[in-house]
Amino acid sequence: MSYEPSYATMRLRDELDQTAVVFHPLEEQYRNLEEQHEAGTLGMWVFLATEVMFFGALFLGLGAYHIHYGPAFEKASEKLNWVIGGLNTIVLLVSSLFMVLAVHYAKAGHRKHLMTFLGLTALLGGMFLVLKGFEYYTDYRDNLIPGWRFDDQEWVKEGLTPEQVPQVKLFLIFYWVMTGLHGVHVTVGIIAVLVLLVLARRGTFTPVYYSPVDVTALYWHFVDTVWIFLLPMLYLLGTHTLADLHIL
Amino acid sequence: MTEKRTPSVTTYMIVCALLIVLTVLTVTVSFFDLPGIWHVVLGLCIAAVKGALVVVFFMHALISSRVTWIVIAVACFWLCLLLMLGLTDYFTRGLVPFMTGH
Repeated sequence: MSYEPSYATMRLRDELDQTAVVFHPLEEQYRNLEEQHEAGTLGMWVFLATEVMFFGALFLGLGAYHIHYGPAFEKASEKLNWVIGGLNTIVLLVSSLFMVLAVHYAKAGHRKHLMTFLGLTALLGGMFLVLKGFEYYTDYRDNLIPGWRFDDQEWVKEGLTPEQVPQVKLFLIFYWVMTGLHGVHVTVGIIAVLVLLVLARRGTFTPVYYSPVDVTALYWHFVDTVWIFLLPMLYLLGTHTLADLHIL
Repeated sequence: MTEKRTPSVTTYMIVCALLIVLTVLTVTVSFFDLPGIWHVVLGLCIAAVKGALVVVFFMHALISSRVTWIVIAVACFWLCLLLMLGLTDYFTRGLVPFMTGH
C-alpha cells in the first residue's frame, strides 16, 4: 500500500525537480523569489557599506597626508599617467552601462542580449586591467616604485628638498596600494561576470529569477564608483600641461 | 511591495554620456592653474555628482526597498564620521600643548 499522493506521478515529480527547482532555486527560508531577491540585494548593499569603510580609510589617509605634504604630493601626482587613468575611467563607466543593460535584459528575459552585455562587461573589465598593466609598466620605466625602482636624486633635481623625497614615496605607496586593491576588486568582478555568462548560457536566468545578475551588477557599479574617486585623488592633484602627454 | 518603474535603456545611455562628459570636465579642471588643494576639492565635487548618478540610476537606489535606503544612508553616515573625526584629529594635532607629567 502506497502513501504517496496520487496527484503527481513519479515522472512528473522528476520533471518538476529538473525544471522548477533547478531554474528557480528558492531557498526554504523565503516565501517567494521576490523576497529572496530582496534579501540578496540587501546583503550585497550591507557588504558594500563595509567596502565603503575599507576604501574610506585609505582615502582618509591619502587626504590627510595630502593636506600636510601638499607640494610633494602634487609633484608626485603630476608624474602619474593621467592619460591612462582618464581613459580607464571611461572604460569602467561604459562597462557599467553594459552591466546595467545586462540586468535590464535579464529582467526582460532576453537571453541573447543578456549574454552579449555580460560578455562586453567582462571584456571592458579585461581592457581596464590591460591598460592598468601598461600603466604599471610606464611607472616601472619612470622609476616610480619606492623600494624597487626609485631615484631620490631625480626628485631633488625636480626642485624638491631631500626632506620632501620620503613624502613622494608615501604618495606613491598610497598609489600602489589603492590602485592594486582596486585592481583586485576588478579581477573578482570579471570572474563573477564570467560565471554569470556561463549560467546565462545554460538558461539559468528568467524574468522571475535573475537576482545573481542584479547583485553582481551592484558590486560592479561600486567598483566603478571607487575608481571615480581615485581619479581626482591620485592622478589630478597637480596642474597638468599638454606637455605631460609625452608620458605615454 | 508595489512594483516601481525601472529606468529605460535611453535613460541609462544619457546617464553614461553625462558621466563621460563629467570625466572630461574633471580632467580639464586639472589643466587650470589653481592654488594648492583646489584641484582635489573641485575634482571630488564632480566625483561626488558622478558617484550619485551611478548609485541612483545604475544601482537603482531610488527604486530599491526602504531598508536599502537605510543601508545607503548609514554607509554615508559612517563614512562622514570616519572622515570628520579622522581629519579633526589630523588638523588639531599640536594645537593643545603637551601636558607635563603625563
